[in-house]
Formats: sequence, structure tokens, C-alpha cells
Amino acid sequence: MEQENVLLMQQVNKTFDKVIALSNVNFELKPKEILGLLGGNGAGKTTLMNILYGLYRADSGKVILKGQPVTILSPRDAIRHGIGMVHQHFLQINNYTVLENIILGSRVSRPLTANYSVEEAAIKELCERFGLEIDLSARVETLPMGTRQKVEILKALYRGVSILILDEPTTNLIPQEVDSLFETLKIMVREGLSIVFITHKLREVLSICDRITVLREGKNVISLTRKDASDEMLVRAMVGDKMDLEKSVMFTSREGTGAVSASQDVLHLEGVSMIDQQKIQELTDISFSIGSGEIFGVAGVAGNGQRELAEVVMGIQPVTSGKISFNDQEITTLNTKDRIAEGFVYVPEDRLADGFLNKASVAHNLILGYHNLEPYSRKGIINWKNVNESSRKMISEYNIKTTGPDEIGGNLSGGNIQRVMIARAFSQPSRLMIAHNPTRGLDIPSMDFVYQKLLEHASTGAGTLLISEDLDELLLISNRIAVMYRGKVVGILPREKFEKYEIGRLMSGYEQESK
Amino acid sequence: MTQIRKFFPYLISVLAAFVVVGILLWVLGFNPLKAYQTILFTSFRTPNGFIQTLLKWIPLTLTALAFTVPLSSGKFNIGAEGQMLVGAIGAAAVGILFKDLPPALLLPLVILAGMLAGAFWGLIAAWLLYQFNINEILSTVLLNFISFALVDFVATGPWRDPAAGHPTTVPIGAGGFLPMLVKNPPLHSGIILAIIVAVAVYFFTSKTTSGYELVVTGANPRASKVHGINIRKMFLFSLVIGAAVAGLAGVIEVAGTHHRLIEGLHSNFPTLGLIIGLMARGKNQAVPFVAFFISILEVGGSAMQRTIMVPVQIVLIAEALILIFILLSDIIKRRQK
Repeated sequence: MEQENVLLMQQVNKTFDKVIALSNVNFELKPKEILGLLGGNGAGKTTLMNILYGLYRADSGKVILKGQPVTILSPRDAIRHGIGMVHQHFLQINNYTVLENIILGSRVSRPLTANYSVEEAAIKELCERFGLEIDLSARVETLPMGTRQKVEILKALYRGVSILILDEPTTNLIPQEVDSLFETLKIMVREGLSIVFITHKLREVLSICDRITVLREGKNVISLTRKDASDEMLVRAMVGDKMDLEKSVMFTSREGTGAVSASQDVLHLEGVSMIDQQKIQELTDISFSIGSGEIFGVAGVAGNGQRELAEVVMGIQPVTSGKISFNDQEITTLNTKDRIAEGFVYVPEDRLADGFLNKASVAHNLILGYHNLEPYSRKGIINWKNVNESSRKMISEYNIKTTGPDEIGGNLSGGNIQRVMIARAFSQPSRLMIAHNPTRGLDIPSMDFVYQKLLEHASTGAGTLLISEDLDELLLISNRIAVMYRGKVVGILPREKFEKYEIGRLMSGYEQESK
Repeated sequence: MTQIRKFFPYLISVLAAFVVVGILLWVLGFNPLKAYQTILFTSFRTPNGFIQTLLKWIPLTLTALAFTVPLSSGKFNIGAEGQMLVGAIGAAAVGILFKDLPPALLLPLVILAGMLAGAFWGLIAAWLLYQFNINEILSTVLLNFISFALVDFVATGPWRDPAAGHPTTVPIGAGGFLPMLVKNPPLHSGIILAIIVAVAVYFFTSKTTSGYELVVTGANPRASKVHGINIRKMFLFSLVIGAAVAGLAGVIEVAGTHHRLIEGLHSNFPTLGLIIGLMARGKNQAVPFVAFFISILEVGGSAMQRTIMVPVQIVLIAEALILIFILLSDIIKRRQK
């Protein structure tokens, strides 16, 4: 007889507009286990857990908690039933202390005096029990990502949850922090909690989870214990039959992506510093070169100047000092339009703000930046026949789900907006690609497709500046990786010296602090 | 089918507004059906009614475009009033100063001067925006007040017509008059200019690369900038073009209708132009059609006042209600999603 379950979800259905997000999904969680909920973007993992946490309502389906059917209409209900969730984006008040963030919204013993000593003692006890080392009086904005996540976990523990859902918890963490998170999870399970670990990363699932449930396109694929699982099985379950694994970049080991014959530098930065309009020093003395055919990766915790670096290279923001040259020509003061004409292409990170026109058509979006080129236009007159024709081609090649070139951009989903940006970026021959988190929001076959495209593009001799918060992505296809910390490049590693923990150490600014 | 579905909310909005106004008329003791008959059919019953409608259509279309062209790039030009008046001043000034020139010279000069004067008035606000990031809504509205004073100054100053009881200038040279298309009832050729402008705006915004840049700037200025479009230039450019179009509306009132500068010649056209622009949801190509519909209401409204003594303000209430219902239909559509 198998162990009894603590939670059952049965025949859950959910549609958004006309899109089926979940269809007849079943889900089971056993006591004291870490369950890996695996799947690519759009597989329905987060939707399923948001239903459990009361953020969405299912169209139909049952939730059975410890043998009792329950209805969960809000996160408050969920917490009352002992279910907690840690989201990808933390819901914290930056200038509050850790203690204040944890007790916010809960009942306190002495509400009139703001004396929280009782609560503090209780939280300290929790910290000790679960091995969480956190300074409760620190303001959360001063803490690194890994610690902020622990605050979020502590919030759930303080509310007495017995089931904890973690949505892609390793996204913004450096490898050291991931290890520490896994330690915490193990302790929590030992203390009697059950954990749902949502992720799209195979390796994490295999290293920490007791059981694995795979979802694809809103349906159950398989559920099995780690002992029974193999890499290949899980990959196949995640991507389906459509994907050709032989050609894949992600699932085949690649040789020969070491040093490129650096015959010529495509891009060269020399002592580039940038102080923005708010008088904040965003970039400090950055120097590097990207060779012809090279994919130059940039790693770093989000918000350490990566976006500013991309914008300086694209000419969107002016440099304060330093020099940028392109094919041995100085271009420091060249404007964005002229850089695009020189063959610069940019896939911005913030797609809704920087990369996409919600209020214009798909066709308008696909030619943005290239509208002055033939065949899109001649002598200032747009040839909409040509535009629509190549739009239709891009829509089918890049698998963009839309009714056609005339559809308003705002109707597209996040993943499809990303596909539009990728299609646009690769629609023109280019000599320097600046891609910032280019696979965010894409499902696994699409991610792989982007990697294939990036490698193919590099093989034409173009340079690539690949900025990513996904370290695995960088390790997979970069020739070299630079690490950014507080607007500085704190290290550049060649491929033969790629080592996750070394990069993690640089990302956390360890080297800087110790100097 | 999709076309019909697109028009459906507009149809319902117009009907709903008429129902509400009908109740109001009924409460006031008028016969709503008779009032509607007058409002809707005056324009088509007599040649005079139709030409009156066309004469209203000209300034309404132009002042509405003065609002929607800058709106395409995301900027709000609330200053069509001032730009129209300054355009009228420019046209009148040139028409009076060079009154002896032959039509072949004077008419183009009058038109050009008026459009440039309107454009200049818009350029002040556009430049303040470009250089100092001063909100164009405030500056265009405030410039309206200055333009009133300017009209007063010109119409009561050296060019004053001493015979008139109202602030008015002497007439411009006959060479600056817009030629008549129809003698009786009179229809001047300003309508051709308005049609040319409406078609040119449509062509520009939908077929040219500069027009594309204008539209995408309005759709997402930040993304447009990231992709190499000089958005501040687009803001400046669209405000100036819109202002020049408003200036042309002033020119046509001077050179076509009054043949002189009269205080208050802008009537309520710029205000209605705003309403038309909003009803058209900022779509340049829809403006001429909405403007025609509003012209019918306006002409019908004055006829209604004359024949069955219903105050003309009822029409303004109807127009405002139509706009409110159209905006409401937006909210309903969003809820349905």
C-alpha cells in the first residue's frame, strides 16, 4: 500500500478566453515529499498551483485536502488550509525590515504599541528549527536574492503552512544560493512539510525531488518517482514528439564551442562608464571585445547594469566616458538608427516596454526598426503587400500564434510576443546581435530553436552579446562569459574555465567585497 | 460581418443618445419624433440645407484632424482653437496687406500665410515640449487664451472696420477670396482643400515610412526609441502638422466664408472637432465621416430651433451623450473579455 496523500486535485479544467490552459489535470502530493512539477513555459504548472493557492478559479475540478474536499477562493483561504506559495516575484515591501515583512497582514499580540517581541521570538525559533540564518532587523532591500527568498519562505512558515509551493524558485539565484535553498527544503520536509517545486529545469528536479509530475500543454504526461526517472524520459515527456532531439542544442553535448579564432573584433568597449539622468553611476569602466563569430555571454544578478550595458551598446543611452568601436570604427556617438543601419540588432529584456507595440498590428511590430529597408518600403512609401507577405512567412516559421499580420499586438500572449521579437531580430542579416534574456517565456522547443538560430547567426561571423539571468543558457552556448556586479565587469571566463560556482561567486560580488 | 460588428456599438450609442434626448424633449413638452425628423433630414431636404452641411463639415473635419494627427503620435493638441484663430489672423493680415495682388498670387499667399501662422502657434507648444518637456496639453490650452487677445488686438486695431459694431477687420483683397463652386446657394472651394488634407493625412499615416514612425511612436514611444526612431522629433512634427491643419481651418473661414477677420469666427468648431476626434477614437481615416454626421446634427439643430422652437443646445446634449455612450461601450467590451 502506498503512502496516503495530503493533497489531491482531480479533473481540473481552466480556460483563458479561448485558450485551454488545463484540461482534466490530476495532481497528487504525498506527506513529507518534495514533488517536482516539471514542464516548459505554457505547460500549465503555475496555473495549476495558482488555482490551488486561490489566485485563479478552476472552471471545474475538485481539491481534496487530507481526505476532505475543500473550496479555496482566495490566498487567505489557502493559508487557512495550510497552503503557502512563494512566487517568482517576491511580494515584499522594500524599506520594511525582515520582521515587519513577515508579520505584515497577520495578527500581532500588541497592536497598539508596535512592540513585536513576542512575534520576533516565534520567528527566531522558526529560523533555528529550519536552519535559516536571517537578520530580522535588516531592511529587505539590502538583502541578496537568496535571502529575500528565505524571507518569503519564512513568511509562509510563520503562517503555519504544511504545504509550500515554490514557483521557479531558482530563477534569480546564484548556484551557491540554490544549494542553500535545497538544504532548507530538505530540512522542511524532515520537519513534516510537503513541498511542490515548480520548475522547467531537469537537473534541479533530479537532484532534489522525491517524485516528479510532468505537464505539457495543460495535460498530465507522467508522474513517477525519481528512482524510475531518467533524463531522456523526462525530456521526451516535456517536449513531446514534435521536437527533433538530435538537432537540439539543449539536449546534445556540443563540441568545439571553445575559443574562436579571434581574427577580428566586431565590437570593442574601452573604459565605458555611464551616469544616467538621475545621476546614478550605472556602468563603471567596462572594457571587453567581442570577436567575429563569438557569443559573448554576460552573467549577473538582475539589475547589476546589464540593461544599461545593452542600451549603451545600442546607442539608446549615451556613454559618459570611454569608447565604443565597431569593426575598428569608433561609434561612441552614433545614434541608434545609424547603428541599426550598421547591422546592430537588439532583443530587449523588457518586452512590453522596450520591444513591443501593444497598440499596433503584428505586421507593424515585425518591421519595427527595419521599416526603412527594402522590400518593406521604397523611397519613403511602405509596400504593405510585401510587409504582409514576409509577416506571414515569419508567423509560420517562428510559430507565432496569431490570426494574421493585422491582429492587434495586445491580443498576443507573452510567449508569442517574445516570438515576434525573435522573428524580427533574425529577419535581417546583422553583424552584431544584442540579446537580453532572449528565451524568457518560451517553451522548450522554442528555446532550443532560439539557441539554434543564435549559433547559426554566430557562424556567419557576426558577434553576439548574450545577456542572460539564466546561467544554464549562458553555459550552454557562450564562448566566453563576463560577470557583472554593480555596473562593473568583475571577471571574464573563457569556455574551458566555465565553472558554475566560480561564476556564482563573482555574481555575488564576493571578490569585490574582499578586496 | 466583422464590419457590421465593428459598427454595432456606434449604432447603439447613437440610438441610446436619441432615446435619452427624446425623453428630455418629451418632458419639456416637444414632439420628439418631429424634432428628430428636422435634425436628421434638414441636410437632405433642400440644396441649401445640404450646402450648409458641407460648409460645417469643412472646419469640423480640419479641427478634428488637428487633434487626431498629433494623437497618432500620442500627443494631445487641445489648442486647435488658438491655432485656427492665429491661422485666420495670418490669412487676414496677408489678404489686407497685399490686397491689390491678382488672385493667382494672393490666394496661395493667403493660404500659405494662414497655415504657417497656425503651424507657428503649434510650434510654440511643440518646442516647449521638445526642449523643456513641458506638457503639451497645458501649453496648447493656455496659448488659446493668448490667441483670443491677439484676435481682439487685430480686429480693433489699425485694420478695424469702423462701420461694424463687432470687432471686425476690413475685408481682404478680392484676389484672396476662395473661388465659388456653386453660386446659389453659395459653396466655396474650401471643401476641395479639406478633402485634399483628409486624403493626404490618410495616405501619410498609412502608407509612408514617416507616417509609420508617427503611428508606432503613438503605440509605444519607448519601444520606438529603442528601435531607432527619434520620438521627440515625431512629437514636434505631429503637433506642428496638426496646428497647420487647424490654421487652414482659419484660412477657409476668412478667405471662404467671411472675407475678413471677425472675432468669434471659430464658433464652436474646435470644441466639436475634439468631440469628433474622440468619437473617431483618434483614427484619422474615420474623422471625415464622423464630421459629416455631426454636421448633419448641427444643421438640423439650428433648423429645429427655427421651426419648432426647440433650443439648439439639445443637439449639443445629444452629441455629448453619443460620445459618452461610445466611451461606455469601450468599458463594456473590456468587461466581456
